[in-house]
Amino acid sequence: MSEQETIGELLVKRGISRRALLKYAGYLASVMALPPTSSTAMAQALANARRQSVIWLSFQECTGCTESLTRSFSPTIEDMIFDLISLDYHETLQAVSGYAAEEARMQAMKENKGKYVVVVDGSVSTKDGGVYSANAGKTNLETLQETAKDALALISVGTCAAFGGIPHAKPNPTGAVPVSDIITDKPIINIPGCPPIAEAIAGTVAYLVTFGKIPELDHLGRPKAFFGDTIHDRCYRRPFYDKGLFAKSFDDEGARNGWCLYEVGCKGPVTYNACATLKWNGGVSFPIQSGHGCLGCSEPDFWDRGGFYKPLSSWTGGNAAIIGGAAAAGAVVGAASALLARRRKASASGEKGS
Amino acid sequence: MTADGATPTLYDISTGMAMSLMQEIAERLGILAEGGEPHAIDLLGIPMSKRDRDELEAMLGRGEVEVTLDVAGASRLWETQYSGVWWIRHFGEGERVASERIEIVPVPEILSAHRLDMAAAARRLSDELAQANEPIPQEESAHV
Amino acid sequence: MSLLDFARGPALEYAFAIFLFGILWRIASLFLLPRAKDRSVPRPGAPAAAVSAARGFVRHMWLRPPYGQSTVFALVNGYIFHVGLAIIVFGFGPHILFINGLTGLSWPNLPSGVISVVSVVTLAALAAALVRRLTSPVLRLLSGFNDYMSWLVTTAPVLTGLLAVSHLGAKYETLLAVHILSIAVFLIWFPFGKLFHAFLVFVTRSQTGAFYGRRGVQI
Ligand code: SF4
Repeated sequence: MSEQETIGELLVKRGISRRALLKYAGYLASVMALPPTSSTAMAQALANARRQSVIWLSFQECTGCTESLTRSFSPTIEDMIFDLISLDYHETLQAVSGYAAEEARMQAMKENKGKYVVVVDGSVSTKDGGVYSANAGKTNLETLQETAKDALALISVGTCAAFGGIPHAKPNPTGAVPVSDIITDKPIINIPGCPPIAEAIAGTVAYLVTFGKIPELDHLGRPKAFFGDTIHDRCYRRPFYDKGLFAKSFDDEGARNGWCLYEVGCKGPVTYNACATLKWNGGVSFPIQSGHGCLGCSEPDFWDRGGFYKPLSSWTGGNAAIIGGAAAAGAVVGAASALLARRRKASASGEKGS
Repeated sequence: MTADGATPTLYDISTGMAMSLMQEIAERLGILAEGGEPHAIDLLGIPMSKRDRDELEAMLGRGEVEVTLDVAGASRLWETQYSGVWWIRHFGEGERVASERIEIVPVPEILSAHRLDMAAAARRLSDELAQANEPIPQEESAHV
Repeated sequence: MSLLDFARGPALEYAFAIFLFGILWRIASLFLLPRAKDRSVPRPGAPAAAVSAARGFVRHMWLRPPYGQSTVFALVNGYIFHVGLAIIVFGFGPHILFINGLTGLSWPNLPSGVISVVSVVTLAALAAALVRRLTSPVLRLLSGFNDYMSWLVTTAPVLTGLLAVSHLGAKYETLLAVHILSIAVFLIWFPFGKLFHAFLVFVTRSQTGAFYGRRGVQI
């Protein structure tokens, strides 16, 4: 658990040299677009910092977010994040269970009062007192409120925790809400994505440990270092968009030539995330490179935005009753006014005739 | 970067970025030579095509030093044909380049041993020597 | 709901409903109106009404010599932005997609670069039209709210569309939302203001053509 030991001392004990830290700091600076010369100072700051106590709460979620963070196969630079934090509670990853697990959470909360960070993945059910998602005899709602009370900050990992995500999609049977709807008196960092990019999770936590403060956020609470540009801004298919060369379906000439996927529903132009630069699975690819448009998974309500394959420029309505009704009403009103005119004329000529 | 066969042009074009980086490197090297500050350029943060990168690598060439690091994954460093200009490439998971930078510095910091590491090493070394000088116990003891 | 979601969803839907309502209302009320029979004697050798209507329409597409050069500018400028608008609306890929979503019809798009150039030219022509309206004393006297409003709702989509495509001034999602909202305003205004000439021009000019073909002197 969290001792008074610094990260530097801990690494020495583990036989991990300062070079590893320096390398990690350089990597971090690169990922977060910080000045490359800052890496020495960052390594120093990290070495002097204490490991950050982290309590990870999993609510209405699919564990994809945890998978994303822990997906590494070999010990590499990306894994060093686990040397920077003390993961004091994580329902999926911890070995203990039951009463002992809850005890661990309570202890971490007591020992690091006001200093621990709460990471949440999954949305919070609020309907009927939040009974639709509970754990260890407590609803997620209660657990969140209880754990957040003495936290330094919260990190909502994944679109569910950040914006409600899939549980929040219509008709939202469990009354799912994002963390920010419940906790309003603590700083909250949103790292949305379905799942979020591992580098974005790790980079944000590392930034917090290194600088002891929250990175710069956008209007939706997302770190600008990762969510500052749209997919479209950094998309390698952009030259085709600019030229007006679009794939019209997933197996036509354009698709095979790697043309822009706007017309098959790409949401890249309105989606802020780093997929186009950091990519996935160790930099192998990202959806657009694999031939599918961006779903917009790091944006609020991406599930309910009128369909993944509907182009951005098309409308999402289509209520035949409204449109048809309006057309019919127009015709009727028009006909009625014409009829009225006819009648008036008829009566006028009738008067003349008599 | 994986060249995705379908879009060769985007990876192949030369944007002239290599040349403008060379200008920056030249300027910074001049400053360093006159006793100024070291400098670093993060190559991953710069929009460069594969071709640009290859061009830059060719222009800088190879110098006298080449080092391989084995720390939290592999790294390769080399001094280019211009003294004080270093190419540093760190590999992450699965051979991918996790970070890549040019450093304009007499010796990249990552090469020199850190004081704390040296202190720990000194302790370990003297422990090991002390152990070696102890009378050898009856059974063969495994070296830790 | 974000501004973009609102624009793409309810805003367009209701605007389109109002558009259809207005169009059908005006057309029905116009065509079902009783029409007076023309009891005059047609001049000798007068062509059939349909032929004179078509002829009249074509003839009105260009200036008659007596009007001289005074209005050539207005005419050419008018052509420029009308043709420009047509190219933008029917030639730009995302617009075709929009129409396709409504009607199921589709056709090949023009390169985006061409559309951008056309948009700039159209915008310039629209600006010129406004300047002329404001500087010509006669035109100014003739112009009312309806004219300025019609100009505004026509120009706004061109301008906002151009900004959205070139990502100028704000984030793309905001620009796209504003663009779509400007279309919604256009759709709502269309049936009730002077923009309705897009429909009526065919009716009025044919009517005038048929009228002149039957009476008066041969031209
Ligand atoms: S594929 Fe998507 S993100 Fe890429 S250029 Fe086309 S619309 Fe933009």
